[in-house]
Amino acid sequence: MASEVVVGEQYRAISPAEFFYKYREIAGFSNPARALYQTIRELVENALDATDAHNILPDIKIVIRRADEVNPYYKIVVEDNGIGIPPHIVPEAFGRVLFSSKYVLRQTRGMFGLGAKVAILYGQITTGRPVEIVTSQPGLKRIYYFKLRIDINKNQPVILEKGSYRKNREWHGTIVSVTVEGDWSKAKSRIKEYIMRTAVVTPYANIVFISPEDEIIYYKRTINKLPRPPREVKPHPYGIDLEVLKRLISSGKYTTIYDLLTKSFQSIGDVTARTLLERAGIDPSHEPAKLREDKLLELTNVMKQYEKYRPPTSLALSPLGEEVIIAGLKRIYQPEFVEAITRRPAAYEGHPFIVEVGIAYGGRTPISTDRYPTLLRYANKIPLLYDEGSDVTTRIVKEEINWDNYLVKLPAPIVVLVHLCSTKIPFKGVGKESIADVDVIHKEIKLAILEVARRLRNYLSKKMKEEERRKKLISIIKYIPDITNSLAVILRGDSIPREKIVEKLVEIISLKLEVPKNEVYDMLKKVEIGV
Amino acid sequence: MTISSVDNKARSKAIRVLRRKFGELAKNIVEGRKPVLILPKRVLSNTIYDVRRKLLLLGPEMQKRNLLDVNEARKFMQTLLMASIIYDALINNEYPTIRDLYYRGKHTIIFRDQKGRLHHENTWDEQRESDAVIRDIEVYLGLLREEMLILSKEKGKVVGNLVIRSGNDIIDLSRMGHGAYSIEPTPDLIEFKDVDAEYVLVVEKDAVFQQLHRYGFWKKQKAILITSAGQPDRATRRFVRRLNEELKLPVYILSDSDPYGWYIYSVFKIGSITLSYESERLATPNAKFIGVMMTDVFGSDIIRDKISRIRVRDVETITPRKLKSLPPKKPYLSERERRNFIIKAKPKDVERAVELVGYEVADACLDNKEMRDRIRRKKEGLSGYPWFRTPPWIRELCIFFKTLAKLEIEAMASKGLKFLADEYIPSKIETGDWID
Repeated sequence: MASEVVVGEQYRAISPAEFFYKYREIAGFSNPARALYQTIRELVENALDATDAHNILPDIKIVIRRADEVNPYYKIVVEDNGIGIPPHIVPEAFGRVLFSSKYVLRQTRGMFGLGAKVAILYGQITTGRPVEIVTSQPGLKRIYYFKLRIDINKNQPVILEKGSYRKNREWHGTIVSVTVEGDWSKAKSRIKEYIMRTAVVTPYANIVFISPEDEIIYYKRTINKLPRPPREVKPHPYGIDLEVLKRLISSGKYTTIYDLLTKSFQSIGDVTARTLLERAGIDPSHEPAKLREDKLLELTNVMKQYEKYRPPTSLALSPLGEEVIIAGLKRIYQPEFVEAITRRPAAYEGHPFIVEVGIAYGGRTPISTDRYPTLLRYANKIPLLYDEGSDVTTRIVKEEINWDNYLVKLPAPIVVLVHLCSTKIPFKGVGKESIADVDVIHKEIKLAILEVARRLRNYLSKKMKEEERRKKLISIIKYIPDITNSLAVILRGDSIPREKIVEKLVEIISLKLEVPKNEVYDMLKKVEIGV
Repeated sequence: MTISSVDNKARSKAIRVLRRKFGELAKNIVEGRKPVLILPKRVLSNTIYDVRRKLLLLGPEMQKRNLLDVNEARKFMQTLLMASIIYDALINNEYPTIRDLYYRGKHTIIFRDQKGRLHHENTWDEQRESDAVIRDIEVYLGLLREEMLILSKEKGKVVGNLVIRSGNDIIDLSRMGHGAYSIEPTPDLIEFKDVDAEYVLVVEKDAVFQQLHRYGFWKKQKAILITSAGQPDRATRRFVRRLNEELKLPVYILSDSDPYGWYIYSVFKIGSITLSYESERLATPNAKFIGVMMTDVFGSDIIRDKISRIRVRDVETITPRKLKSLPPKKPYLSERERRNFIIKAKPKDVERAVELVGYEVADACLDNKEMRDRIRRKKEGLSGYPWFRTPPWIRELCIFFKTLAKLEIEAMASKGLKFLADEYIPSKIETGDWID
C-alpha cells in the first residue's frame, strides 16, 4: 500500500476570507436553514444601520425568491433607503473580509461588519452565483451597479460587472442581492419571528417582507421619531490592555506619553494623566515609542487599577428610548397595557451600557408559558432568538421575580422586552445569542423589569377593582327587569307605575355602589328576559 | 265551571295579602329605602322543638333579603317572581301545582358580564329551588300554599265510614269499591258530614293499605284507613290532624320498622324540619306509633345487658333504671319467622338511626365493631332529636343497633294477612302497646 510520508507540518498563512469560509459555523452558517436565516439577519441589520444611525426613517424591503428549479437556491434581496455606499468603496466593502466601516468605538448592530461578507462567501461557494449591489448616495446623480465575487485565497474582490445610470428620481440607498443554498421550510418560522422582533424595536421603519410563497408581511411605520444615533468616542482607560496601548503608540501621532493619554482616552485629563504617569514612574514628556515593554505593562496595570475616573460616556450608545419601545410594542400587540423604561447609563469593565425594558400586557399579546413571561431579548437593537435558557434575563424573570406579586397569573398575555445596549455586549459563547450574567448588568436588568412590573401591577390592581365593582353591579342589575315586572303584576292598577320603580331602584343602586346612574342604565339596557 | 264559595273566599284573601305586603316593598323603594324583604329564618337552627306541646316550630329569628347584597339578590328576584306568578294564578281563577309554578317562572336572563361575555342564567334551575321560594313566600305572607290555592300531587288515600263534602259534592268514603278517596290538596276545604269510626289507622305503605282494604279491615275494626304512600304530603297530614282534632278520633301510625319508618311517624306527630312553620296546623301531637316496633320482632329481653350502659342527658336525664322500669315485651315473631323476615340494616340506615336518637345510644348498643368504628368516625357526639330521646324509643333504637336488623310491614302481612288484621293491630290497640 502506497502512502505518503509526512515529513513535517506545512505552515502557511490563510487569508481572512479563507478562514471565515472554513469556520463559517462560528458566523452562524452551519446548515442551509441557519444560513438562510443568518443571511437575512446580516443584510437587514446592515440596512438598518445605513438608515436609522444616519437620521433616516427606514424603508426596508426584504424579498426571498426560489432561484433555481432543481437546487434549493434562494435569492435574497434586501433594499434600504439609507445613505448608500460610495461607488469606489463598494468592491472593497463587499469583496474583502475585514474591510468595514465598523472599526470604531460606537454601538452598531453588527460588531465587525463581517456577517454580510460571510453570507456572500457562503452563497458563492454553495451556488456559484455572484453578489449584486445597487447603490447611490444622497446628492449623487447616478445609481451604481456592481456584480462581484470574492477571491477567497487572495481575499480580494473580483468585479464581474459594473455600471451606472442616471437617477430619474431622488433615490438613495442600497440594494443587495445574494443567492445562497437554503432550506426555506425549515428556516421560515425563525425568519418570520426575526422580522417580527425587529419590527417591535423599529416602529419608525416601514418593513416589507415577501416570502417565496408570495406571502407579504408589512409592518407600517407608526412613529416618526428615531432613536438617538450613537456617537464615536475614545476608549475608556478601564478597557485598556497592552495591545491597545501598543497600537496607539504605533500610530505615531503622539510625541509624548502625556499627549497620548490625554488625547486618545476619555476620562483622562491633565490631573489624571499626571497621576497615572507618576504612579507608573514614567516621565510625562517621555516619547511613547521609546518606552520599554515592562514600563508599558506597568502603565497598563496602573491605568486599570486607578479608581477615580469619571465613568465612561454613554454618548456612544443608542438606546431605543421609552417612546420607541412603547410604539413598537403597540404596533405588534395592540396591548391594553404598555410601559417602558430606559435606565440611566452604567458601566462594566470600562464599557458603558444602558438597559431598557418594556412590558406589554393583554390585547393581542400572546399567552406566555406558565413559568415566565414571553421574552423579547435584544442586544444593540438586534433580536436574540436562540439560547434563551442561558440568558441572564431568563434567569431573572424565571427565578428571581415572583410574578404573582405583580398580579400576573401565569400563563398570561404578557411580553417582557429587554434591550441591552453597550459598546461591548458580554455575549455568552460564540453564538452571540445570549447575554452572560455580569453583576452590574444583572442588577440593572432586574431593577428595570421590577420598575415596569410595578406599573403593571398598579394597572392590573385598578382593573381588578373596577372589574370587581362591575361584577357586583351586574350581579344585581341583571335581576331588575324580573323584579320590576313582578311588582308591576302584583300592583297592577295601583298608583305606582313600573317606570317609577325602575328609576328609583337605579337611583338606590347607583348611590349604594357609587356608580354613575347612566352607567347603571346602560347595563340595565343590555339585560334581556329570554325564554 | 262552578267554583265553590270556600275557594273564592281563600282567593280574595290571598290576593289582598299579596298586594298589601308587596305594596309596602314598592312604597319603600319609591321612598328611596333599601329594597329589603324581612321574613322568618327557615333553617334547622331556627327550628325549635316545643317540649310542652310536642311540636316542631319555627323559631323567632328573622332574616333580611337585601337586593343590594350580591349573595341575596338572586333569592330576592326569585321571591318576587314567584309571588307574581302566584298572584297571576289567583286572579285568573287557576289552581297551579308547585310544578306548574316552577315552569311558569322558569326563563332565562340574558346579560353581559363585566368582561363583556354573554351569559344565560335561569331564574331557577331545578324545582327544588322554586319549591324553597314557595316556602319563603308562605312564611313571608303568613299564608299557607293551600290558602293561595296551590295544589300538590295527591298521594294520600282514605277509606272508611266517613261522609264528606268536597267542593259541591257529597262523598261517602265507605263506598269506594276497591279504590279509595284521594285526599285533595286543599283539605281545609273538606267538610266532615258524618262519621262512624273508632280510630284512624295510618299505614305508611300503599300496598299494605290495599291489602287491608280488600280484607275488609276497616269495616271489621270500625276504623278509618289511610295511607301516606311513603313520606306524607301536607294534605294527608292536615287531613289526619283534622280527623283527630275535630272528630276526636285516636290516630295510630303503622310504618316499617326502620329509621325512615320511625321518622315518618315523627313527621305526622310533631312536624318536619323543612315545614316547621306549618306544624301548628299539620302535626297531630296525639298520634301514636303502633308498629312495627323492634320489640315486636325481638322482644325486650335481647338488650338486657345493654341497658345498664345507656345514659342520656337531654331535656330529661334517662338512666338505666328508667329504662329497666319499662314494661317487658315478648316478640310477636318466632325465631324462624324472624330469620325469614328481617333484612340486614345498611350503614346508611345506621347513620340515620344515630341522627334520630343520638350517638351515646348507638355507642352503647352496637355490637358490630366495624360499624361502631364507622359511626364513631362519622357521628361521634351527635345528640339526636329530643322527641326520639325517650325511654321507649331508646329501647327500640338500642335493639336496632344491637341486631342491625330492620323489618318491613309487608313481612307482618306475609306471616298472614289474618294475623296482621285480626291479631297484631287489634291486640296492640287493645293492650295499649304503642309509643306515644
